[in-house]
Amino acid sequence: MTHPVQLYCWHFMAYPHLPADFDEKYDTGWVTVPNRLWDSEKSRGLYQQYIDQLAYADELGFDGMVLNEHHQNIYGLMPSPNLIAAALSQKTRRGKIVILGSLLPLQLSPLRIAEEYAMLDNMSDGRLIAGFAPGSGPETFNYDVPSATSRGQFWEAVDLIARAWTQDGPFKHEGRHYPLRYVNPWPRPTQRPHPPIWIPGSRSRETLVEIARRGYCYFLSSRSHGKETAGSQQQFAKILEEHGDRYQPFRMGILMSAYVGETDAKAQAEAKEGVWYFLKNCLKGHLRREGRQLTFGPGIPYIPPDEFRNYLKFSDPTSPLLGDAESWDDLDESASIIVGSADTVYTRIMEILEHAKIGHLLIQFHLGNMPDALARNSMRRFAIEVAPRLRAESARLFGREFPDLARQATPEMAK
Amino acid sequence: MNILDVRNRRVAVLEAGAGAPLVYLHGFADVHGVVGDFQPFHRRLAQNARVIAPAHPGCAGSDELDRCGIDDVTFHYLEVLDALGLTRFDLVGHCVGGWIAAELAVRHPEQVARLMLIGACGLFVPDEPIGDVFMHAQPERGTDLTTLRALLFADPKTPASLRFFPDGRGDLDEEMRRYQTLRFGSFVGFKPPYFYNRALRERLHRARMPALVVAGEHDHMIPRAHGDAYAAGLPGASDLKIVAGAGHAAPLEQPEATADLLDAFLRETGARSEPLQSAPTAGRSAP
Repeated sequence: MTHPVQLYCWHFMAYPHLPADFDEKYDTGWVTVPNRLWDSEKSRGLYQQYIDQLAYADELGFDGMVLNEHHQNIYGLMPSPNLIAAALSQKTRRGKIVILGSLLPLQLSPLRIAEEYAMLDNMSDGRLIAGFAPGSGPETFNYDVPSATSRGQFWEAVDLIARAWTQDGPFKHEGRHYPLRYVNPWPRPTQRPHPPIWIPGSRSRETLVEIARRGYCYFLSSRSHGKETAGSQQQFAKILEEHGDRYQPFRMGILMSAYVGETDAKAQAEAKEGVWYFLKNCLKGHLRREGRQLTFGPGIPYIPPDEFRNYLKFSDPTSPLLGDAESWDDLDESASIIVGSADTVYTRIMEILEHAKIGHLLIQFHLGNMPDALARNSMRRFAIEVAPRLRAESARLFGREFPDLARQATPEMAK
Repeated sequence: MNILDVRNRRVAVLEAGAGAPLVYLHGFADVHGVVGDFQPFHRRLAQNARVIAPAHPGCAGSDELDRCGIDDVTFHYLEVLDALGLTRFDLVGHCVGGWIAAELAVRHPEQVARLMLIGACGLFVPDEPIGDVFMHAQPERGTDLTTLRALLFADPKTPASLRFFPDGRGDLDEEMRRYQTLRFGSFVGFKPPYFYNRALRERLHRARMPALVVAGEHDHMIPRAHGDAYAAGLPGASDLKIVAGAGHAAPLEQPEATADLLDAFLRETGARSEPLQSAPTAGRSAP
């Protein structure tokens, strides 16, 4: 049995109707971006369009559809990804539904997510991939979650959910953050022992160790895929070994964006507006130096002091971020947003797979204010002209590099 | 810097001067908050007292607390004071340190001889929100901390403000002290946003020792109404005293003027003032 790379379509559901002078007039697209900019008339049918694009990905044979949770921003209009997942569970029949992930510290009780995910797993007939995330800066500001305690809260919530899915109830949970007398959620998930669990991380050793200890899948939430991505894979592999485990490609996923056109020039011409809307507007407040970055930094002090010291030692606050790109060449350097012909996109992605050996590729096709027809064209070209080659070549690569894989029935390795 | 062992937790303590003990609880733009040693303001206090300045849990060389809400921190300081053998002392708190000082004073008024608050947070005052130090600690354009300096100082361009919160990457140890103090602030004061205990205002009546409430003229972090509320709520306090020309970081910005206010208060109230007589309880409980 061969094990090709798993290809997912990720939709962020950006707000596409910002005024043309947004970047000039507003200092952020996050947290405090004024919601009077929401245009109710223009936004009619927007969710339908986005849901239909994801359903189209399922028709095209993508291995799954990816959703995530954001609040109070123009970057992602899914305060509740579970609502979209519910819609997809009824509109699609095949692909995985990946929620990456629900932000657990924002919940009054994580059991709510245990329940909703179990519902979704039943509603989709066992297609849910259960992502959990702690949230970062924006959520601490939006929901008043203290950064410094959010990590402890998060891991207690993850463990409570996993236990609620696997251990017969009712049982009591004597946790610090979520003490409960009667844990006994109905329904239980379809997948046994429970849906695969994915956890995003951005190279924090602490996070990788917690993932490794529990045998979960690591999603690298980085927006650049140069040498660091291979470095992260090696770091994770080493930590897995320290925990008596072994790395294989389906223990890890990455995010990237792609636009596939007929030729490089046509792809660039078609994608230009959406890509730059995404970079300049959606990333303002997140991955742009212009404005105030609210996702990481000293005002969001969730990482332990030792790790912050390392970050200070090895980072340069003046270096450009993804959203600071001014040209296609700048973008090429990040290897995160790949725009070109099918050959170009295939070659660039295969380079990443060859050096990073990662089995779950989560690809954003709709960027910023990209029109529906362009997003669909790009997805179709990818599915027809790129995916088959990627699957064949990655299966050869993974088979060669990870001979143990052949003995495994399914690439779903996360417990 | 001494490291004190408090029930197996390390607590970093700076000390200077001789005489009656004066405990100093620091703020953000302060000793332990940014710099490793006493500044001119603290040295002025040390001319007439034995100044003892512990670093908050997780700050400078102090260990983080396993649980670190305001009640935990208050109890932590009771243990620190036990370990120092201090049963009665003068207490000065600046910024978040002022909040902790007030919490100590309402719980153990018998231990606090005199209470001095400088730009103290801790109270909930409707429609007078405390500034968002967390958001402003996120630099603009990756390196620009102008708005953080504007929050903590009268003017973001003064040498003192630029010295304590420079743009870009500063000295590594100072960056770490800033980060650790923000992290302590996140533990103790992020929720509810920010830096107050709703119950504290109704408890101030218990702190009947002589008290001094001070604020910088241009404190952009703690609205003036908070100083007024402390002055009105503490039975031993007179009106709020203003340090002209200073912002939130009055001890750094106007060390002499701020120290003059404290000196005058300490002189007026005698070397070791006794607590005010308790109000007759019969009067309060009479039907």
